[in-house]
Amino acid sequence: MSAAVLYQWVLASLPEILVVTGACILLIAGQLIRRGQEHLIVWASVAVVLIAALATFLLAGEVRPAYSGMFIVDRFAVFFKFVFYLATVLTFLLSRKYAEIEGIGISEYYVLLLFCLSGMMIMASATDLLSIYVGLELMVLCTYVLTGFLRRERRSNEAALKYVILGAVSTGMFLYGVSLVYGLTGTTALNGMTAAATGDPRDPALLLAVVFIVAGLVFKIGAVPFHMWLPDVYEGAPTTITAFMSVAPKAAGFAVILRVFLNPLIAASDVWIIVAAIGVMTMALGSFAALVQDNIKRLLAYSSIAHAGFAIFGVVAGGQDGIASVMLYLLIYAFMTLGVFAVVVMMRNGDFSGEAIPDYAGFAKSHPGLAFLMLLYLFSLAGIPPTAGFFAKFYVLVALVEQGFVALAVVAVLLSAVAAYFYIRVVMVIYMREPERVFDPALTPSVRATLALTAAGTIGIGLFPAWFLRLAQTSVFGG
Amino acid sequence: MGFPLLSLIILTPAAGAAVLMFLRSDDAVRWAALGVTVIDLALTVVMLAGFDTATYEMQFTETRPWVPALGITYALGVDGISALFVFLTALLGSVSVLASWVAIDRRVKAFMISLLVMQALMLGVFSALDLFLFYVCWEAMLIPMYLIIGVWGGDGRVYAAFKFFLYTLAGSLLFLVGVIVLYFHGGETFDILVLMDQDLPFGVQSWLFFAFLVAFAVKVPMVPVHTWLPDAHVQAPTAGSIILAGVLLKMGAYGFLRFSLPMLPEASVYYSTLMLAISAVAIVYGGFLALAQDDLKKLVAYSSISHMGFVTLGIFALNARGLEGSILQMFNHGITTGALFLFVGLIYERTHTRSIAEYGGLMKVAPVYTAFLALFTLSSMALPGTNAFVGELLVLSGAFGANLAFGAVAILGAMLSAAYLLGMYRNIALGPVRVSAGPTLRDVNAREMAAILPLAAFVLWVGLYPKPFLDIIDTSVTHLLVEVHSRGRGQ
Repeated sequence: MSAAVLYQWVLASLPEILVVTGACILLIAGQLIRRGQEHLIVWASVAVVLIAALATFLLAGEVRPAYSGMFIVDRFAVFFKFVFYLATVLTFLLSRKYAEIEGIGISEYYVLLLFCLSGMMIMASATDLLSIYVGLELMVLCTYVLTGFLRRERRSNEAALKYVILGAVSTGMFLYGVSLVYGLTGTTALNGMTAAATGDPRDPALLLAVVFIVAGLVFKIGAVPFHMWLPDVYEGAPTTITAFMSVAPKAAGFAVILRVFLNPLIAASDVWIIVAAIGVMTMALGSFAALVQDNIKRLLAYSSIAHAGFAIFGVVAGGQDGIASVMLYLLIYAFMTLGVFAVVVMMRNGDFSGEAIPDYAGFAKSHPGLAFLMLLYLFSLAGIPPTAGFFAKFYVLVALVEQGFVALAVVAVLLSAVAAYFYIRVVMVIYMREPERVFDPALTPSVRATLALTAAGTIGIGLFPAWFLRLAQTSVFGG
Repeated sequence: MGFPLLSLIILTPAAGAAVLMFLRSDDAVRWAALGVTVIDLALTVVMLAGFDTATYEMQFTETRPWVPALGITYALGVDGISALFVFLTALLGSVSVLASWVAIDRRVKAFMISLLVMQALMLGVFSALDLFLFYVCWEAMLIPMYLIIGVWGGDGRVYAAFKFFLYTLAGSLLFLVGVIVLYFHGGETFDILVLMDQDLPFGVQSWLFFAFLVAFAVKVPMVPVHTWLPDAHVQAPTAGSIILAGVLLKMGAYGFLRFSLPMLPEASVYYSTLMLAISAVAIVYGGFLALAQDDLKKLVAYSSISHMGFVTLGIFALNARGLEGSILQMFNHGITTGALFLFVGLIYERTHTRSIAEYGGLMKVAPVYTAFLALFTLSSMALPGTNAFVGELLVLSGAFGANLAFGAVAILGAMLSAAYLLGMYRNIALGPVRVSAGPTLRDVNAREMAAILPLAAFVLWVGLYPKPFLDIIDTSVTHLLVEVHSRGRGQ
């Protein structure tokens, strides 16, 4: 291996290297910092992400394969990396005040988020089942710890424990599937697998391997039947981490799913029938279960299950539009979900948790501006135009109908009508109930910045989707 | 592309809503909202004055790219079918602001903003020439309307708002899938004019017809998906009822005219008998329901179902008189029913009851009020000389031309409407004085008069000299019918 090649490889993975290096430095620096100076860590973490984003942007010009086919930097990976950067930076901004209120005064919180980010970045770029595994593990190990960060709260402990155990099982399944693939084809590289396969799409061993890999990945995005962990974990985790997990790791899971599922080998095995069934069940379960939730974090957990189901429909559709629709969906979903969570995080102040939905009664009366933003995000999540959430769903439906899945499209819209109910129920509580208490939201400048950015994304992409649509379409891999 | 008049008409209320956000006092908000709606009304009058009645082509067209990758454009235009509705929307916009002047006393600013946003979206629906744009406006209306009913409505407002929202949403989502299917069959475009020229296979047309029917039938509303309407009307504030009855209900019927007939002509001809039957059921069923009501608002709401039955009856008669009559009747219904809801609101503000049984002899207490009420009541039951007579006569003659039996049923409905409306008027206006507020009841004041008079003028104008209105409609309808019958002959 020549130095030039090594240089190219390092260049390709420079953003990942930057994030990991920054995280390591912050880990040490965090121990040296004095009490009352914690905000320095926050800004340093934000700076690390921004530098990595800059590097990603500057290196995005060409496709860079690296590490002997394990890793690639293409526009697809770059698109997802920017979704991760967005989610991570906004989580940092939200965390500052929240960490203070909850007594999370330690720098490991931010360091772990950075490591988690690097894991997701590796996932987006991975082109080999093993490098996928490495990224996946790096990501989930950090989220296990972050989930349990409220050490004195039982819910948080319980959630972390559940998450670790179930997560380990799903990882095991994934690895078992990988081992089967290796046994069948002699390689774990996504590209190499096709050539080595027998060519029989109904080869039972192959199907078995696919099922295990699917199960492992489906767990990460919280789709049925591997969704049980999700509401408990989302409820127990610190709210900022819930916000982060419902966006970034989910997007990372979809990045991998798109790469793996639309690989010729797996596409050949008629796997889409399974995927379509998973999509329908996921969306149905998420939508119906959310109807009866009283805790807004649980509600949003089920809502994220439902949204994962809708995005899976884009995977089912496949093709250029299918892939692009999933990508655009995840980007838009990041904006609106982080927006809602920003409000939920902000409500946590003093002894008020702001987690029960009735707590929001009459919010519109005392804080009309914030209530309006909440209305915007919720209607966007429900998919009502002219918000971005509508365009996200619309494009998935276009991709579905284009491939002839009209019946699936009908199922999808009927289920989103069900889902609309629980979103507007929250709107109803905010707007149509009398206030029972005085609100004192922890509205810091960084929370304001988050709200402004997410609102701009939610309404901006809704009104002017053309640029974002092109971005997603040109970022589809292979194109 | 000339001066973007239609964009201006749509953007005026939207910009007005933005300006309202910066006003502080409630009175400033009211005057500003009124100013915006009046300017908008003036603009639509300019539009009508420049309207060329000799052509069926779209006029005042504008096209701008919006999402080129999916063939979505920002395209506007009006023809004889939509022009009157643009005007009606702006007219009822001003009336709604006046009707909410004192009736809305809390969160006035938010209310007026919702009202103006609503108006912008409704205007967008009637002038969109791109299906995507149409759908966005159509669906986005749910947000302000949900708030108008749910925040400023009566005691059962939350339930009513939910019901309204979910019914309409479920209907329009199927429509959305239909639109996307149409998009791929029509060569990947959302351009309404291009889609009108497609010859789709009958099987596809059938499916789309029913997908569209669900959405439009909920909006009209047709029996059996009408049950959201009485709830929404009873709970909505007066302005909400005026907009619902005056404009929103028209959108379903407008959808039939704009999409179902020209884009799915074979299916429209094939299923026309079915549609006539549903319409006839709505006319009679709505009439009987209205007959049994004691709540004034409910009575007018059920009468709307019956009257909208006439409209769909006229549309699916598929002949010139039926179609022209139904378009004119939609305009009339907007004026008359809007006025009736306004009158219910006026009296409710004074007495805080809507029960017919608690009124009597209002004529002696409030003579001006009862005189105008008489005019609109007579108009609603289609007395000769009023606007609805012209519309209903055309619809009935069209219906008899299409199908004798359904025409006869519709006559029964017309008789029912005379029964419940006259009954209502007798109980309220005649007999001994029996008003909860007593003999001190205040008659209409100047502000209320300003809302009533334009509506009354249109009742008489259309009733006595309908030619200018029919001229606007005529050319487009003739063209539409030629298209439908030439391409729908497959059956």
